[in-house]
Amino acid sequence: MTQPPAVVVRDLHVRFGDVEAVSGVDLTADSGRATALLGRNGAGKSTTMKVLAGVVPPTSGAVTVAGRDAATDALGVKRVVGYCPDVGGLVPRATPWEHLQLSARLRRMDAWEERGRDLLERFELGDVAHRVVGGFSHGMSRRLSVVLAALHEPSVLLLDEPFDGVDPLGVEATLEVVADARARGACVLLSTHLRDLALEACGDAVVLRGGNRVAAMEATDLTGETYRALLD
Amino acid sequence: MRSSTEPRHDGWTDAAHDTAHLVGFRARTVRRPGAAAFGALVAIGLTLVFALAPAAFDTGALDQPALTRATASLRDNLGAAFIGVLLLAVSSSMSSGGGRELLSRSEAAIHPLSPVTEHLGALLLAPLNLAWLVQTWALLAVTALVAPTGRLLGAQVVVLAWVLAATALGQAIGWVAEGVRRTPHGVVTVRVAAGVVVVALAGLHLAGALGSIVRSLPTTWVAETAQTSSWPLVVVVLLGVFGAAVALGVRPAAWALGLPPREELRVQSGVHEARHAPEPRWGSPERALLRRLDRGSVWRSVGMRRGLVVLGLGPGLVALVAGLQWSSVMLLPGLTASGAALLFGVNAWCLDGKGMVWRETLPVAAGDVFDVRALVVLECMAAVSAATVVMALLRNGPPPLVVGVSVAACWLVVLVQVLAIVMSWSVRSPYSADLSSPRATPAPHAAMAGYAGKLSLVTTLTGMVFTTVSTGPWAWLPAVLALPFLAWSGWRLVRARRRWLAPEERARVVLTVAAV
Repeated sequence: MTQPPAVVVRDLHVRFGDVEAVSGVDLTADSGRATALLGRNGAGKSTTMKVLAGVVPPTSGAVTVAGRDAATDALGVKRVVGYCPDVGGLVPRATPWEHLQLSARLRRMDAWEERGRDLLERFELGDVAHRVVGGFSHGMSRRLSVVLAALHEPSVLLLDEPFDGVDPLGVEATLEVVADARARGACVLLSTHLRDLALEACGDAVVLRGGNRVAAMEATDLTGETYRALLD
Repeated sequence: MRSSTEPRHDGWTDAAHDTAHLVGFRARTVRRPGAAAFGALVAIGLTLVFALAPAAFDTGALDQPALTRATASLRDNLGAAFIGVLLLAVSSSMSSGGGRELLSRSEAAIHPLSPVTEHLGALLLAPLNLAWLVQTWALLAVTALVAPTGRLLGAQVVVLAWVLAATALGQAIGWVAEGVRRTPHGVVTVRVAAGVVVVALAGLHLAGALGSIVRSLPTTWVAETAQTSSWPLVVVVLLGVFGAAVALGVRPAAWALGLPPREELRVQSGVHEARHAPEPRWGSPERALLRRLDRGSVWRSVGMRRGLVVLGLGPGLVALVAGLQWSSVMLLPGLTASGAALLFGVNAWCLDGKGMVWRETLPVAAGDVFDVRALVVLECMAAVSAATVVMALLRNGPPPLVVGVSVAACWLVVLVQVLAIVMSWSVRSPYSADLSSPRATPAPHAAMAGYAGKLSLVTTLTGMVFTTVSTGPWAWLPAVLALPFLAWSGWRLVRARRRWLAPEERARVVLTVAAV
């Protein structure tokens, strides 16, 4: 029996006042697969991610995440999703460990400490686990955001620009997190401008332009020339 | 045309031009220019009312000995009130890390702003402060009440000149304190020095020497001469002091701004060992954990921690040392609670900064998030206003029953009142703000001025209502009178909460605060 897609987006529109950030995006993403979300600045990638994370309600259209309707059950969506936002995403005067503790407790995780410690070590944040994040570099903050998204082994992992400003070791650790999530059957959506890393991490690719989906294909088919042509 | 890479002398003219550009930039980014203009007109109108209206009261004609004695006491202590304005200017600039900034540190980082520009900007922003406004209005009102007929104009010009001079002097001293704070062991040095000053003042007061020392200061000459035909001489002297303080203040400003902000850096790299998840006696552990995170966001901020301590101790010490009567004390909880709310409560969601997006992805009911944040705002306001009330209690002893009930009812009313107002503002008009620097404010300066004015007006009027009631014989009346106030504020709070629960409204707040 075929499993239904973990993420289904139909004719999604998101409007902020007079600005239409997303205008009619259609998207599906399957469990056990990683899908790259590509496009220029302002294409609507981050807004789509925020809708999938339950942070921004859709203005119109249908959005289902792991069987939950994002418009009517945002809390349910938040329980099954792990989200690394594109900017910041950390409470400035709390420590990484306090972030992990809050995230774990609100998701009713009992034995989370060992996994939390392991993830912090993998992302080389073990030494600063109890230091206030306000003094972190941009790359350290991005790495911690990925750790927080992955902590509860979500069935849908949303990573918005996870490689932005991250050093090669952090990139490797993020690719490992993506591979682990796919291996345990989670659906991964990864938004990035870096095509090469997107191809390395993902099997499928979706290109957005001007708030619309303009292409969906296997990642290997997205050559540099094809991508460039889709952006214009 | 001069290239931007050519060396600059950063003189006063350049700095003045740069400051004008920054003020213009801020003015153009005001969200509601009409409201800002109206607010400025109201502030000017209130200033005129305070400066002129009390002069219309002829206290002598009323033939009430108590009123005559009170007026004479105000006249005798006018010099001390002048000193109060100076102390306030010093404590304000010290607690805000040298003074407010026209552009936040991260915004200013890409611009070549000289210390002179920073200094001028801080001076311009000093009046946009609740305590500064209240104290200036109070000084104008007292001067209008005690000045002889025909001498009012000169006396009020002297008051304004003194406020200018005191603000500039306070600014210069604030920069010196900030410079010392940024040296090795500077934080301890400043804390010890401040403690010694407070203890010395308290000791002098207990020894009965403080009054005579204050009366022997030059401010007594200023206050007395202001009410004579020689007032122009005083104005010239004070403007000279103002000019000198502005000019001299540049040196400590340059010194302080050239040093690393040691305390902020220490807090930003602070280590907080892991603690077990809280297991509260009542309420859910999740709410307790949210509360712990929110409290940490307040107390781990240099600016907020410093502001709360100053607000907790400052007005209370004034009540203690000056021996304020309960009728005057009644106004203080509202003003201190407003001051605490102005530290972050007027834009309560900015505590999370860019982490607001992550917070919003957590699977927790939106109502719980609102309740916990409102509770933390309330805690801060209650803590600082409680300190004021306790110190007044130490000074005056237990009040008569009707006064005690009035103080308690007034305190409760202003707390709920301010909470309802600021939570409504937080949902209706959120701003992105980085509160890592003590010089930062939770909202743009024009908005902060409006917030300060409205909160001080509302809480002062409420305090005056309860002060009036406390003079009556009925102890039950203040408690009954509190009910409609509480019902109205409670309804406003529920309305703000309902607005927050709407997903579209919440998304707007989250995206605005996180600036994404």
